[in-house]
Amino acid sequence: MERLLGELMPYLGRICGAIALDRGDDALQDTMMAILTHIGDLREPAAVRGWARRIAVREAVRHAKGDRSEATDPAAFELDVAAMDFATDTDVRAVLAGLPVEARTVLVLRHLEGLTEVETAALLSIKVGTVKSRTSRARSTFRARWTS
Amino acid sequence: MTWPAVELDPIQRVEVLAAALPGTVVHRSEFDQDLATFWSWISDLERSVPAFDSDVSSLQILSIEGANLRIRARGPWWMAFAPIRFDVRLEEGFCWMTSRLYVVGMGAVDHDGRTIFAHCEGVHLAGPSWLRRVLRPVFWLSRFRHHRHVRSDLAGMRRALANG
Repeated sequence: MERLLGELMPYLGRICGAIALDRGDDALQDTMMAILTHIGDLREPAAVRGWARRIAVREAVRHAKGDRSEATDPAAFELDVAAMDFATDTDVRAVLAGLPVEARTVLVLRHLEGLTEVETAALLSIKVGTVKSRTSRARSTFRARWTS
Repeated sequence: MTWPAVELDPIQRVEVLAAALPGTVVHRSEFDQDLATFWSWISDLERSVPAFDSDVSSLQILSIEGANLRIRARGPWWMAFAPIRFDVRLEEGFCWMTSRLYVVGMGAVDHDGRTIFAHCEGVHLAGPSWLRRVLRPVFWLSRFRHHRHVRSDLAGMRRALANG
């Protein structure tokens, strides 16, 4: 169990850190608790990484949405550029913090995890079209912010 | 480009592991010693464990491979015939010891020049959730004993550290 924690922590720490930002450690703690509590129920041990990723994404989104300053309504998916911290424009964290949690989540899954649009849609239980539109908007904003 | 990442500190690691083991308890305590002094003493397992744990008369390290150790702990005279072997993961600020049925965890972090310490002990059983559900009442009852024992360990640590 301790070995599993040590093996998964760096991997899941990137997902939780990139999506939940300042609440990443809480998200990671809850993720690891859920994993270790239910690992005995996993029917296919080989699938542990994908299963753990799903839990990490769920917990990271939940913790990120706990921050009321975040935009949490996908219908109101507008980027608050004014709220971005332009003084740290080379900081990925600062760029991510300017994105709504839905955009961060899609960016992490598509670019950090390398998932396809279909895989991302399945993991987040949303339509592929929604993944496409969120990815497109998140990418263009991220690119503009990154190169500004 | 580096994506932001987080990790659990040693106390969080101990608490996460303990939360998944219903037969364990965790107590947090604060010590006056700084982290380096405290951890240098506690991580000397052959010396520190018999000094603070009244159920351990001696502890011997059998092998060391990086951060992984194998140890053998002997109980008081009336249990000396049944030493217990533990697999140990020993890192800076973190120690996790597992035998077939028993687990001991220790985590320490700095807190303004003092040390916050988490100590976990109890029984563990890996397996399907139905078995853990069946044994949950037994584990739950055993926690009373573990609470007493961990409190005794923490008091033993304070005494041993005070005596140098």
